[in-house]
Amino acid sequence: MDGPDTIPPVFLEGVTKTFRGHLGIGRTVAVDGLSLSTEPGEIFGLVGPNGAGKTTTLKMMLGLIRADRGEVRLLGRPPSDPTARERIGFLPENPYFYDYLTAQEFLDFYGRLKGMGAAARRTRVGEQLERVGLARHGGTALRKFSKGMIQRLGLAQAILDDPELLILDEPMSGLDPVGRREVRDIILSFRAAGRAVFFSSHILQDAELICDRVGILRGGKLKSVGRLDSLISRQVRWFEVAVQGAVPEMPGVESLSSSGSETLVRVPDVETLTRLLASAQQSGGKVLSVWPSRETLEDLFMKEVAEPPGEDAR
Amino acid sequence: MSAGRSPRTLRAIQGIALNTFREAIRDRILYLLLVFALVLIGVSRALSQLTVGSEEKIVKDLGLSAISIFGVLTAVFLGVSLVFKEVDKRTIFTLLANPVRRWHFIVGKYLGLLVVLTMNVVLMTAVLAAILVGESVVAMLPAVALILVELALITAWAILFSCFTNPILAAVGTIAVYVVGHMSWSFELLKNRIPSGWTSVVCDVLYWVLPNLSLLDIKAEVVHGVAVPASTMGLAVLYGLTYSCVVLIVACAVFERRDFN
Amino acid sequence: MRIVAILLLVLTMVATSSLSRVRLERPSGSGSDDKELLYLPNGRYLKLVSTGQASLVADVVYLWAIQFYSDYGREDRYTYLQHIFGEVIPELDPLYVDPYWLGAMILSVEVRDVDGALALLEKGMENNPSAWILPYLAGWEAEGADRPLQAAAYFERAAAIPDSPSYLRRMGAGMLVRAGRIDDALRDWEEVLHDPQSDEISRVIAERWLRILETRKTIQSLEGTVQAFRERFGRRPRRLDELASAGLIPSVPVDPGGAPYSYDPATGHVSSPAGRILGEE
Repeated sequence: MDGPDTIPPVFLEGVTKTFRGHLGIGRTVAVDGLSLSTEPGEIFGLVGPNGAGKTTTLKMMLGLIRADRGEVRLLGRPPSDPTARERIGFLPENPYFYDYLTAQEFLDFYGRLKGMGAAARRTRVGEQLERVGLARHGGTALRKFSKGMIQRLGLAQAILDDPELLILDEPMSGLDPVGRREVRDIILSFRAAGRAVFFSSHILQDAELICDRVGILRGGKLKSVGRLDSLISRQVRWFEVAVQGAVPEMPGVESLSSSGSETLVRVPDVETLTRLLASAQQSGGKVLSVWPSRETLEDLFMKEVAEPPGEDAR
Repeated sequence: MSAGRSPRTLRAIQGIALNTFREAIRDRILYLLLVFALVLIGVSRALSQLTVGSEEKIVKDLGLSAISIFGVLTAVFLGVSLVFKEVDKRTIFTLLANPVRRWHFIVGKYLGLLVVLTMNVVLMTAVLAAILVGESVVAMLPAVALILVELALITAWAILFSCFTNPILAAVGTIAVYVVGHMSWSFELLKNRIPSGWTSVVCDVLYWVLPNLSLLDIKAEVVHGVAVPASTMGLAVLYGLTYSCVVLIVACAVFERRDFN
Repeated sequence: MRIVAILLLVLTMVATSSLSRVRLERPSGSGSDDKELLYLPNGRYLKLVSTGQASLVADVVYLWAIQFYSDYGREDRYTYLQHIFGEVIPELDPLYVDPYWLGAMILSVEVRDVDGALALLEKGMENNPSAWILPYLAGWEAEGADRPLQAAAYFERAAAIPDSPSYLRRMGAGMLVRAGRIDDALRDWEEVLHDPQSDEISRVIAERWLRILETRKTIQSLEGTVQAFRERFGRRPRRLDELASAGLIPSVPVDPGGAPYSYDPATGHVSSPAGRILGEE
């Protein structure tokens, strides 16, 4: 029996959703046999190209769309059960909020929906506005907010009643670097407090920076899933070395480019690198920089995406 | 079931109703229609000078009809986009991601709009009372009450249409229901002239499914000072409110099954 | 679900297509000026179209009819009077009392159709058994048409209605000696006008009758004076002023509205618009 600490925040088993085309002609399989399960207190990223089915998956998790087949559980309960949504917070992609409300009215409204009493609402609304840096704009109408401010307000709404699980759809889209940093920090602070985060993104660098585990979705199917360091080898693949002056000829050393007296070479391993450094010193050249290349999520992603469909990862 | 669930349900509905109220109050269409109605009621005094005989009748008729027609127009114009706008602009996503049931949403929207409509009707009745100097408007209040019940009914239909179609079709549909609802009494007559068979059955179905709005119309009685027995009033109110509830339940059911993509 | 909306639209079309049986009323005579009335539908169909605002539509038709019948230049416009006041408006609002008596007055004063007037009032009485004003007016119509027995019966009927004024009984009794005597009629209408028990409708009707009867009386008297002038001078006067300068009348009277009387020297007839129901002031 799952104890309270071992209930997966998000659990999907064999989830499938097919959309009928216009006038019943044609079918699109948006999500096909998706199964995954997240751990309490971890940050999970669902990545994939546009149209992979990320948003559809999130909507099925929240009960906005009914799955044709399979099981969906949010904190152990089906999405049709409103108590399942009591302990979660959600921020959709490109959020649009009632532009005739002020920030305060907006958060107060959602506080009501979350079942917070008047006193709790007063304190929490103030706190969360502070936390996302919108305390000064509490009384401003939403139609005057910039996109970044809307995103931050949406986050404030999602974390308003301190949920156990935070679900975010493309939380960093459309934000400037400052905004993205802020969102990242909030997500990290969430994990630090022991909460789980589940977000979808097509920006791999963001996922790489903060996720504990990652799932790659393509064409409605899950291609890979697991811890970052198990998916991506952290080993150094090669070194890129910038050398000034003459480059000694050595087996394995490959010249990449040169401009003026500088040459960029690729060195396959540490031994070759040590010999190159020694040799360069001897011939009077100078080593300007050494950069170790590791596999990134993007590399893995491109590899997965390049494969023909029909491959499944477990 | 967590303790304090009823207060939570109420709070959610209350929140959505309050929001809907705020949204309706800030909609310009509301004021356009209201101003039209008030101008019409004000002008009725001048118009009544053209008659030979009772001037008050003209003022009362025009006043009550204005309240009725502009009430219905407001219910339709505001009601048909209530649900549609939320789905179209996707504000519904964040809303339903919270521990609210889908029917809370429908009921909250409905009540919010109903409050606005009631305020409208009260305002128009007050202006009518001011125009009818010396005459008591108290006698007309039963008719106004039934107009409110009619508005509750029409709003329910508007919301039902808004759950599955765009505002234009929804407006056409709701107005069609209103028009046919006022012709309901003729279906009985029509049936007598049609040989029995499937057309007769269609007539029967129409008569029962669509609202019989002439039951909620006691304007003529009230203007001529004919007393309406309390039992008739009671039955009419009961019919109107029950019917509205049924339509609302259908709307909730439709909304429950909907996929939002 | 879109199908449901479309079905509803189709059903509405089916329902309203029953209205396509609106009959066009065609005039029986030729050279009729009544083009406006060609398209006045049957009252029942109008009620169907009014979608719950039947009383208001009745008011609109009534107001339109008032304007229409105020236009004295039109010939042959009384053909549909019975239809408008006796069928269209009552179908929309059977309890609307004003059109019955106004239609009856137009019929009696302008068209001199007493039976038509009485028919209209009878229809009103049928729909409004508690409106004593209608048999009361029917009594006056009968009195004006020199049918005192019928008049007495109407007044009795009016007096029998609960909450009717006390003077109705007096009128019933006095009807039997009342036969076309304008002075007596004038006196009775004055009584009604000044009786504190009279209600508003009675006063309105009394005012109109007073104006009509005063005018009639003055016209009778003027025509008589014109005759006297002719006998004395061998010709008709060219203008009414001649009657005054000849010393037959102290001054030329004006009608209750303050306008001068029209005089036709060729026939000796005197007339005035004030002798009509509508289109005054």
